Amino acid sequence: MTRPRFTRIDDGQRSAPGERIRRDIRARFIPSDQIDNPVASPSGRPRFDPHQGRTTPQEALGVMAPSGRIRRDRQAERDPRLAVRTATVVRRQGAAPSAKPLPLVTVDDPAYILLVVPDFDGDRLTDHDRELISAAHVLAGDSTGAVVVLAPAGIPGLDLAGADRVLPCARLTAYTPELRAGDVLAAVNALEPRHILFGESSSVGADLGRRVAAALGEVPATHVVTLAPDELKSRGWSGRIDAIMVPPRVLLLEEQVAVPLHDHRREARLLEPVAPAAGVQSRIVEEELFRIDPDLVPIAEADFIVSAGNGVIDWDAFRDVAAALGGTRGGSRIACDLGHLPRNRQVGASGTLVKPRCYLAFGIAGAPQHLQGIRDCERVVAINTNLHADMVKRADLSIIADAQAVMPALTELVARRRKGNEA
Amino acid sequence: MNLRIAVLLSIGRNPRSGRARRADRDARALELALSLTGGDHIEAIHAGMRDPALDAYLGMGIPSVTVLLHEPGHDVLPGLVAHLRQSMPDLILAGTAAEDGPGSGTLPYALASALYVPVLTDIATVETEGETLRGVQALAAGQRRRLRVTLPAIVTVGQAAPIARQSAFRLQRSGKLDVRSSALQGDAIEHRTIPARARPKRVATAAPGGSATDRLRALTQMSGGGGRNLVNPEPQEAAAAILSYLETEGIIDLPTGSVQQA
Repeated sequence: MTRPRFTRIDDGQRSAPGERIRRDIRARFIPSDQIDNPVASPSGRPRFDPHQGRTTPQEALGVMAPSGRIRRDRQAERDPRLAVRTATVVRRQGAAPSAKPLPLVTVDDPAYILLVVPDFDGDRLTDHDRELISAAHVLAGDSTGAVVVLAPAGIPGLDLAGADRVLPCARLTAYTPELRAGDVLAAVNALEPRHILFGESSSVGADLGRRVAAALGEVPATHVVTLAPDELKSRGWSGRIDAIMVPPRVLLLEEQVAVPLHDHRREARLLEPVAPAAGVQSRIVEEELFRIDPDLVPIAEADFIVSAGNGVIDWDAFRDVAAALGGTRGGSRIACDLGHLPRNRQVGASGTLVKPRCYLAFGIAGAPQHLQGIRDCERVVAINTNLHADMVKRADLSIIADAQAVMPALTELVARRRKGNEA
Repeated sequence: MNLRIAVLLSIGRNPRSGRARRADRDARALELALSLTGGDHIEAIHAGMRDPALDAYLGMGIPSVTVLLHEPGHDVLPGLVAHLRQSMPDLILAGTAAEDGPGSGTLPYALASALYVPVLTDIATVETEGETLRGVQALAAGQRRRLRVTLPAIVTVGQAAPIARQSAFRLQRSGKLDVRSSALQGDAIEHRTIPARARPKRVATAAPGGSATDRLRALTQMSGGGGRNLVNPEPQEAAAAILSYLETEGIIDLPTGSVQQA
């Protein structure tokens, strides 16, 4: 039996041989790129077709669902700012790439000032710094206050972090907390901010904030864990009790009090530098900076961890290589279970979640629990015999070799280099 | 020179039982003071109420503890400043923060500001040489910083300082509390308080507005990876590759990066 042949007519209907006008249901399912005209419903209402005119999926307009199917993003059509950001946005050919600048929010004539004193890690804003700037906006509540960030020249990303104004200050490299407090006090005298925010961070903020508060004669709110314009919680009593108070002038904020700014940017307008306060003298002299025996450092705060797993048999060689490299020793669960390392050295979900700058793993295959423990490591080096181990997939540099051979070679190389440098 | 030291002591709180005890960091501060002078010329000061827990400090080997009477919840700063201005010790030692009460750790700074002396914070060890004091400051990740200051000074003692000696019962009996009324009383500090709740840690950093799939992916996906592989290299070749990686990433610095024992 052959199918009845339909004659196509323009409005999406077809006429059957018997002259009877019938609605063609199949026509709806014919891909639109096989039809000459744009998609229209039988009623003539225009229809959206993500595949229209495409040759590859990437040229269509819409977002790619996790399944790979192109979906229409109705929010983005109404307002581009509402576009689904995490999905892969697929666009028509010739359209601009997705790097659209975030909307700019300005405060031209601020009713009051909030001063933020970030820590900076080298020349970068830390996550804590970003949260501080964002917390200042939370504290302002409305948009009439301007957030001024005290920063040395050349710090990138202050506009995205949410700085309305940037007050340049001197870059201090040595530990001179009194001079730094003097800089902040000069800024406070010039700007008369309503609030001054510091991070409760052991590196800079906790010390500096208390110095500034003492010099101003203010009682600061310390260890602030939640923040609102009219009320904050300050954790005390060794972390057992929170005190609730109205935000005072000086605040020292713990981490994760606010979510870093992500949906808009601020202008980060540069202010005129403030003359440093006269008569500030530095009575504290920094003599040297050094490190203690790395194995005395708690593994959670270690900077460089040399770790061993089931692939390590020669534990003397492991000890030597860790000592030669100056790394803190850690291990997988099995290494600790077998008693080769104390339990407080165990890395992983059931041990310690570590955050070193570098993680050097000898003979660790990379159980999911172990990989969770090193989730926040920036650099991972793996030495493993199995090319397909999960640790090797995770690593930035993988050596597919026996740890027993590599460890002494590395120890010897470091020793030779040290000797060469001394000679 | 006879170094005259004042140690500020507070009542601690056992984190498990909640009972009053000697505060750990204050006891470490007293331990440093005892190691500096061997017990002479130390004035141990407690600003607050008289408490049996103070006996634990006496048991460390000091003859007496001066108690400057203050009602609980009152500011002790004016009373302490008045007392210390009178005795003006060369060195004032204290723990970084109190265990009980707000524990803001601001008192040493406020004292330093009032007495116009420098303050060294979170110190692990101290040594004195005439008018000069050298202290080693504990930083994160095993870093230490050696600082020098001219006395008089305030030094706060942190967790990195040597553990305090045990308290001896006989010394607790023979020591005495010198209870005085404070010359100045500070204002009452009142806060509404609630029990602290554990803070949820923000672990995943999926962009806001994402779907549940994105959040799950941000939580579970492995970061990094896709690095360089060396398959079956010679051990020397492997060692050279590891070392050059560590050096280019600034993890170790061979000419000067030697490890020093503290």
